[in-house]
Amino acid sequence: MLGRTIFIDPGRCIGCQACVSACRECDSHRGKSMIHLDYPDEGRTVASLPTVCMHCEDPVAPCAEVCPAEAILITADGVVQEADPTRCIGCANCVNACPFGVPKIDLEAKLQMKCNLCYDRTSYGLAPMCATVCPTGALFYGTVEELQAERPGVDVSTMFAFGDTVVSTGVAMVVPGERRTPVPGGTLNLIEVNGRPTPGNGARA
Amino acid sequence: MTGTAPPPQGRPIGDRPAEDDAAQVVASATRATAVRASLVAAAASVLLVVAIVLGSRLLRDFDSALVPYAVATVFLTFGVVYRYVVWVSAPAARRMFVQGWKAALSWENLKRSPAALPRMAATYLGFQKFLGARSHARWAAHQLIFWGCLLAAAITFPLTWGWFTFTSADAAGPGYEMRLWGLRLFGFDSGSFLGWALYHGLDLAAVMVIGGAGYFLWRRMRDRAATTGQRFGYDFLPLLALLTISVTGLLLTFSEMFLHGGGYEFLAILHMASVVLTLVYLPFGKFFHIVQRPAAVGMQLFKYTARRRGSDAEELQACRRCGQPIDTVAAVDNLRATMRDLHLGFDGWAEYCPRCKRVLRGNAYLSNVKRGFK
Repeated sequence: MLGRTIFIDPGRCIGCQACVSACRECDSHRGKSMIHLDYPDEGRTVASLPTVCMHCEDPVAPCAEVCPAEAILITADGVVQEADPTRCIGCANCVNACPFGVPKIDLEAKLQMKCNLCYDRTSYGLAPMCATVCPTGALFYGTVEELQAERPGVDVSTMFAFGDTVVSTGVAMVVPGERRTPVPGGTLNLIEVNGRPTPGNGARA
Repeated sequence: MTGTAPPPQGRPIGDRPAEDDAAQVVASATRATAVRASLVAAAASVLLVVAIVLGSRLLRDFDSALVPYAVATVFLTFGVVYRYVVWVSAPAARRMFVQGWKAALSWENLKRSPAALPRMAATYLGFQKFLGARSHARWAAHQLIFWGCLLAAAITFPLTWGWFTFTSADAAGPGYEMRLWGLRLFGFDSGSFLGWALYHGLDLAAVMVIGGAGYFLWRRMRDRAATTGQRFGYDFLPLLALLTISVTGLLLTFSEMFLHGGGYEFLAILHMASVVLTLVYLPFGKFFHIVQRPAAVGMQLFKYTARRRGSDAEELQACRRCGQPIDTVAAVDNLRATMRDLHLGFDGWAEYCPRCKRVLRGNAYLSNVKRGFK
């Protein structure tokens, strides 16, 4: 059962980068933005996709499971915290294991960093920085009921399919009301992307 | 998905053992690890006791006033070894542990880059360069604590084990001799600077630790990044423990120099209690990073030596979509094996860079979920 969390609706994102700037103001990683804003089909559409940590619940936090230093801790409320700087050895296992492409790493400082759902704010009942400033509601913080009261007819999904594996998360994505299958995590073994061949499939070196 | 029957989650569909079986397998593996860890830890503790007895020349040099400290080090050994074995038994740590040691013990690596291991040990463990990249102030404070604790441990552990002894060179004085396991190391004049430094080594260590721990305590109360999610037992207790040990230690010197030993017995007990409790707490809290940190050297050596085996094109894993290097091929293979150990069925995604993983997902959402993001 989802409590208060972030709901991401890429359909509403206008790529304004307000969330990226606001994330930088988060006290737990001041000056460094942890949110990702990507333009999946740049040059063809203006579609943009904000990505925060999805706080995976099942399997619980793959990033934490593959951490050899037990550095990524999960609080009782299900928030997957950024790496404990005392323990993190900067091996990048979490960066490469996360199917959502969330954690960042500072190789010089041997430290992983990622979105911790603005724990300094959300643990006191405040909305995360990104959701606070998002002008279009692409990032919404609240309960499903609050979301659906504002946006009749939408549903949310916490299921993401990566190949045959379904990952369930604490952060949800907005989906059309009639959708009943997990949100796809993408298709691998690509031969070409946007009309251009991928490496190993004829791409120029 | 709200209001609908959820599809199977987590493990690959069709590859998911029954919940009860899985729980039983986990429980029996945990029990086996606990038994193994207890046995290894008990063996290490017995080994230390034997080393204490032999090193103190069958307890002839053993200072019985220091018995609680010596006993605490035996408990410390048990705790550290137990926790270490449990830690390196987990899939991710086990694979990294094996790869790190393989890289360190490889004759080929030693021939190719003989300076790599000592250089990494010095920069990561001794001078902790990575901390400087996080914050200069934290680096300086941590160096003070690190060298202070190291100095204190180097003095006190052999003393409590009866390994170090100080004996008069002759009846008239002021010559003194320092002995290890009963063997004379060197002689010195008790009134000389060396003598003063030897007697006050722990005072110097205490001043260093107070400086460093004081800064971290201040930071824990003022820095908003540090205060986020901090916990008393994990973040404050270690600092308070270090400060208590250092302050009570300095007070012993103060009592001796200015109070003619006034309150010395009480202070000695207070100091001993703080040291013993800290040593026993060490394996289970923040201090365990002292034991874990060398894994950073193993990990770095594993990646460094793998990269030096051949050209970048051969040894670096390029993202299968954009071609940007992700990590060494060996590190990605090691991670994928770890993921398979953990039944994380999406290890294929590890061959894509984080941005491409997000873009692939964005594209799938664009074409399958909300066509054109409408």
